[in-house]
Amino acid sequence: MALDLSMPILVVDDYQTMVRIIRNLLKQLGFEDVDDASDGTAALARLKGRKYGLVISDWNMEPMTGYELLRHVRADEGLRTTPFIMVTAESKTENVIAAKKAGVNNYIVKPFNAATLKSKIEAVCGA
Amino acid sequence: MNMMATARDGRSQNSHPSAMVKELLDIADYIASLRDAIAILRANELTRDRLPMVHEELSEVVAATAGATNSIMSTAEAVLALRDGPGYRDAVEAKIYDIFEACTFQDITGQRIAKVAEAMSQLEGRLARFSAAVKARDAAGIDEIEIDRRKRNESLLLNGPQMGGPATAQDAIDALFA
Repeated sequence: MALDLSMPILVVDDYQTMVRIIRNLLKQLGFEDVDDASDGTAALARLKGRKYGLVISDWNMEPMTGYELLRHVRADEGLRTTPFIMVTAESKTENVIAAKKAGVNNYIVKPFNAATLKSKIEAVCGA
Repeated sequence: MNMMATARDGRSQNSHPSAMVKELLDIADYIASLRDAIAILRANELTRDRLPMVHEELSEVVAATAGATNSIMSTAEAVLALRDGPGYRDAVEAKIYDIFEACTFQDITGQRIAKVAEAMSQLEGRLARFSAAVKARDAAGIDEIEIDRRKRNESLLLNGPQMGGPATAQDAIDALFA
């Protein structure tokens, strides 16, 4: 199954530079419909208002972290199947395991390139 | 405080005037050495000049790195948007020189960070001398805000970036998701 390049993607990061980098990488991969949010709370509000094909989230944000956002998404009947990739510098094994237990679909350590992002999106979105 | 307690105990146990005078002199010496230790700390200079300088320099570093990153990214985006044609190479070269120029931030931020490191080193030295002079011991408790902050960080596994690169390599993480 080919990747659906028209699917809306939500990028969640409190650093606008990182949002811009991920946006550009997604654009390089062919994705054009990209929204962003600066923390988990703002992301949840966006997720309630629109059906996203993928969430790409940082971990370390305030007031709601990416880990808390993941748990909210997985606890929400309407959002629980939304593919979720964590893109973060929180790379201790315990973090990865905790995120996996909470239901994350894949996990990317910063810094990363377009090829890594593409392979994870393919793995998560079933290409 | 321990010496004061000793002095009070001494007063009740040993009423000999010369012993009391000696203990009072010891206390006076201790207070004098404490005042010297506090003076060496130069706390006013630290709070008036050094620590505000550290805040200002680090704020400048954050602003400079953000500015440079934005500049580099804008230039890269402009290169991506260039159309093929006769002037393409010249336009790309001009943009590359813009990127070189933006990269000069590293020299300036390096100097700012060196100033901060030096101030921190001085602060560390003064605190170490002060701590040794007064034989300071850390209090057992931590304030409530710090306890809450630590609890939140522990429960949410907020470690931040590790020194020297990721603690777990991407390949090892991939294996967990295979």
